[in-house]
Amino acid sequence: MFQLNRFGPARIIFASSFFISISIIVVIFFFLITNSLPIFYLEGWDFLTGTHWYVGEVYGALPMIYVTVLVTLLALCFAFPLGLGTAIIASEFLPERYRLIVKMVMELLAGIPGVVYGLLGIVLLTTTVQRVFNLIDGNCILTAGLLLGVMILPTIMTVSEDALRTVPKEYREQALALGLNHSEVVLTAVLPAAAKGILGAVLLSTSRAMGETISVMLVIGSLDRIPSPFFNIFTTAQTITSKLGREASEALGVGYHWNALIGLALVLFIMSMGMAFIGDIIVVKEKRV
Amino acid sequence: MIKKNRFAFYIVLLITALLFDVSIVMAGARTVRVAGSTTVLPVVAKTSEMFMAINPDVRIMVNSGGSGVGVKFVGNGLADIGMVSREITDEEIKNFPESDFKVSVVGIDAVACVVSSEIYDSGVKTLTKEQIRKIYSGEIENWKYVGGPDKKIFCIDKERHRGTRHVFMEYVFGNKNARAPGVDLVSGSNNEEQTKVALSDKAIGMLSFAWINSDVKGVDIIEDGNIIAPTVVNIKNGLYPIARNLTLVTNGVADGVVSEFIDYILGPSGQKVVAEEYGYVSVK
Repeated sequence: MFQLNRFGPARIIFASSFFISISIIVVIFFFLITNSLPIFYLEGWDFLTGTHWYVGEVYGALPMIYVTVLVTLLALCFAFPLGLGTAIIASEFLPERYRLIVKMVMELLAGIPGVVYGLLGIVLLTTTVQRVFNLIDGNCILTAGLLLGVMILPTIMTVSEDALRTVPKEYREQALALGLNHSEVVLTAVLPAAAKGILGAVLLSTSRAMGETISVMLVIGSLDRIPSPFFNIFTTAQTITSKLGREASEALGVGYHWNALIGLALVLFIMSMGMAFIGDIIVVKEKRV
Repeated sequence: MIKKNRFAFYIVLLITALLFDVSIVMAGARTVRVAGSTTVLPVVAKTSEMFMAINPDVRIMVNSGGSGVGVKFVGNGLADIGMVSREITDEEIKNFPESDFKVSVVGIDAVACVVSSEIYDSGVKTLTKEQIRKIYSGEIENWKYVGGPDKKIFCIDKERHRGTRHVFMEYVFGNKNARAPGVDLVSGSNNEEQTKVALSDKAIGMLSFAWINSDVKGVDIIEDGNIIAPTVVNIKNGLYPIARNLTLVTNGVADGVVSEFIDYILGPSGQKVVAEEYGYVSVK
C-alpha cells in the first residue's frame, strides 16, 4: 500500500492530521478552562455545590451534575445486564454466521442519531412510562435513563463481545476437560478472564451516556432541581447536557451566564474524559495480554 | 507504489479545489442571515422563500433559537436580521454598546394560556389572571379548584429566555423573569410545548396564538369581568391582554438587500403571510 517515504506527500498529510487532532483536544481543554474561570472566581466552590441557578443572580451546578450521574447509572442498570447477556450468547453459544448478524444489527443501532431516539422517546416512551407508573407526566429521569440505556446497549454489547472473544481457546478447552458443562465453562472460565474488557466496555459506554444531549433534553423535563427525595426517579430534572443544549445559544459568548455554562461543560468534559481514559487503559491492557 | 501515492495526492487536490469553488459561488450571492424567535420564524421562512423566488441572486438563511439569540446575533454580527418577539431589554443594549438596534414591527402576536383538550372539554374554558398566577406559583395544584375535573395540574413553563414566556409572565406576575415554583416541566420552542400539552391530558402552558389547535386549546381570559377570547378580532382591537409585537431587528438602519427584504415583509404579500397563513395580526 502506501509507502511512507520520509518526506513523501502521504507522510506529510498523515503527520499534519496527527498534529491537528492532538491540538484540537488541547485547544478545547484550554478554551473550557479560560472561559469558565470567571464563574469560579465569582462563585468559588458554590458553583459546584449550589442548588439554585437563576441567570443573572446565582449559578449552582449541583442539580445538573447529580442528575447526570443518576441518569447515567440508571442507563447502565438497564443496558449492562442486557448488553452482557447478548454478548455472552453471541460469543459463546451462537454459530459464527448468526453471531455476525447480531453484531451487525447492534452496530447499526449504534449509528442511529440521538435525535431519532429522542423523538421516539417523546412519542412512545413518555406516554408508556406515564401509563405504567401512573405518573402526572412521562417526562422524567426514568424515561431519560431508559432511553440512554437503549442508546448505549450496542457499545456495551459489542465491546464486551470483543472482550469475550479475546479469551484464548485453551481456557475453554481446559475447563471442558475438567468436566464442566457449556454454561459452567462460560461462567467460571471465560467471564472472569474477560472481566477487565467488560469493565472497559462499561466505562466507555458511561462516557457516551454522559455526553448524550438531544435525546435526554427531549424527555427529561429540564427543571433545574435535585429530585426529592434524592432517589426519586419519577420527577423532571436537568442534566448537564440538556442544560447546555437549552441555554448555550442564548448565552453565547457574553457574561457570567456563558462562563457558568462553560463551567458545566468543563465538569462534564473531565468526568467523561476520565471515564473514557480509564476505559481505554483497561481495554488496551486486556488486548495486550 | 509511487503512482498510487500520486493518485491519492491528486484526489486530495481535487477535493480542495472543489470546496474552494463552492465557497466562491456562495460568496457571490447576496446573502441575508436571519436568526431568532421561533414565533417570528414561520413568517420569515415563508416570505424568504417568496422573496428568493423573485430575486434569484439572493440567499436568505433563517435560523431559530429564540428572541435572545436574535438580539445577540445581530449585536455580534452573526446575523443581519434578528427576529425578536419582545422589547429589547436595557441589559441587551448595555451588552452591545457599539450596536445601534433598529426595530421594525411586522406583526402582532397574542400569547394564549393553553390547556389540554381534555381539560378544556371538561369545563375549564376561562381563567382569570389570579388563577393562572396561583397555578404557576404552586398555590393551586388541582384542576377541581378552577372548575375542572379532580386531576393534578401539570404545569408547563418555557425556557427563561423565550419571548413567549416574557410576555406571558409579564402579564401574569408583572415581571417577565418571574420564578414559577409550581412548574412541573420546562419546554423550549412552541412546537415542543405544543407536543407536550397535546400528549398530556392535564396540562397548562403558554403558546403563541398561532399554535392553538384542536388538541391544544386556548382559554378565554377574564379581565375586569369581561370574558376575552384569544381571537384575531380581540387582538386587533387591543382587548386581548397577553399580546406583543413581532419585530425584526437590525444593527443600524438597514440598507441594500436587507432593507429590501424587510420592506417586502411589510408590503402586501408579506403581510398577507403574517395574517392569513399563521394567524398573527398584520400591522398594515
